[in-house]
Amino acid sequence: MSDLAELSMTEAADAFARGEVKAEALARACLARIDAHNAKLNVTVRLDREAALDAASAADHARAIGINAGKLGGVPMMHKDMYYRKGKVSTCGSKIRKNFVADKTATVLLKLDAAGAIDMGTLNMAEFAQNPTGHNAHYGHCHNPWNLDYCTGGSSSGSGSGVAGRLFYAALGSDTGGSIRLPASICGVTGLKATQTRVSRHGVMPLSFSADNVGPLVRTAKDAARFLAITAGHDPHDATSAPEPVPDYEAALTGDIRGMRIAVCSTYFLDGADAPVLAAFEAALQVLKDRGATVDYVAAPSMPAIATYVSVLSRVEGAAIHANWMRDVPQDYAIHLNARLFGGYAMPGHYYVEALARRGPLLKQFVAETLTGYDLVATPTVKTRVPTLAETDIDENPANWSRFMAVSANTRPFNYLGLPTISIPCGFDDRGLPVGLQLAGRPFAESTVLKASDAYQRATDWHRRSPLM
Amino acid sequence: MEHDLVQPTMEAIRRWSGVECPNPAARLGLADMAGLIADMAKLRGTMVFEDEPSSFELALRDCKEPGK
Repeated sequence: MSDLAELSMTEAADAFARGEVKAEALARACLARIDAHNAKLNVTVRLDREAALDAASAADHARAIGINAGKLGGVPMMHKDMYYRKGKVSTCGSKIRKNFVADKTATVLLKLDAAGAIDMGTLNMAEFAQNPTGHNAHYGHCHNPWNLDYCTGGSSSGSGSGVAGRLFYAALGSDTGGSIRLPASICGVTGLKATQTRVSRHGVMPLSFSADNVGPLVRTAKDAARFLAITAGHDPHDATSAPEPVPDYEAALTGDIRGMRIAVCSTYFLDGADAPVLAAFEAALQVLKDRGATVDYVAAPSMPAIATYVSVLSRVEGAAIHANWMRDVPQDYAIHLNARLFGGYAMPGHYYVEALARRGPLLKQFVAETLTGYDLVATPTVKTRVPTLAETDIDENPANWSRFMAVSANTRPFNYLGLPTISIPCGFDDRGLPVGLQLAGRPFAESTVLKASDAYQRATDWHRRSPLM
Repeated sequence: MEHDLVQPTMEAIRRWSGVECPNPAARLGLADMAGLIADMAKLRGTMVFEDEPSSFELALRDCKEPGK
């Protein structure tokens, strides 16, 4: 194989399983990319180089004596620096936790370990996962591999930039308002937020316990299907994790979406969208239609309420979690973060209860409006063209606030609704930055979301394009 | 001119939560709260007496794909 770093996660895993490539070769290919490009992208926080090579060597030895390595056997990954591993520092992208040593290991990491994945270390992220652009005042901003002046999207900035830059095959992100889907869209990779409660959050830094989600940034829908099958399911350590059975998501990827019905909300998600984004979105819908899906525009009168309540929910929960540090060491937060948290203390308690209490009824209303008679809702992941780091830097200029918050306008509602939602690459804007297509399904309908995404990727090559760094 | 909401809200946060306004960006953020208050005002009357947070997990199950 000529360029191992260009393989997708499943291609790398399957090649290892067939004996066509050694795990050590995969790890060395990734390390070579990291050595060549990390100084520009600022993706890694902790690189466990020798441990990764040792693990790869062990995987090769195990395979040589006939031990099944698992469905992710030999595949190097790195993860957002908020997944705890016992005995290791997890900074959460913050100065406050720069020396925090975890006393437990996240369930999702244990599941990836058991599947044979090789953990090479941790990744840059927005401080405490609390911004949609990827700025980080403490460890340096992460940079977009398509153009270093542009933001990566956040909060899983290192995950998006590193997967797009071919520095590793997959990365965990987290998604409370779009933090998987935004860097996926903005860096040109595939990012999946599953149904709320689908994946255990045990051993994961909290942000907003009502809306936090664990999920992957990878190259393809097939990668996301395998990753989710390994990580989903009830966890006795997370009482909120769903008992729903975990299907074989990869088996659903037939490429056949004839008869699938897709709804596009005629308001909110397209309001104020930039022309290059709309053009890419409409072209993506045409691809889905060409493969046999039908697309209709529908009204979603519940959207103003959903957009309002989601703002209340995450800000109040974030403010509560950070109250001690906001009192004791506010200067240790970046300007944009303590500014954002501060407003959460102004919210009346009854606003918060109302936002929680209306969540179930509004989910039912949204499903009735958009998913009755339809399988999926489609939107652009980000309405606007990708902004530069300077255009969204609040620490430098507080007037950038509205541009900063606009980045996540189309992703946040699906955290309130708890619906499974993916972002897949669907083109580039007029400045050469990626555009993402967002697809959402009914609760626990990840198979449908992944099936449509895979069918789209069989007909396009946006997800195969690699930035020229 | 700064919105008249900002100063009393800063004082309320200080008294109720013991958190001081950290920087000018936070003051700007508080001014944005006027928009959120207006949005919440539009929703008054929509919450039903029996609505409660646990309805969300039930709704997730109720809204699954038909037959699944």
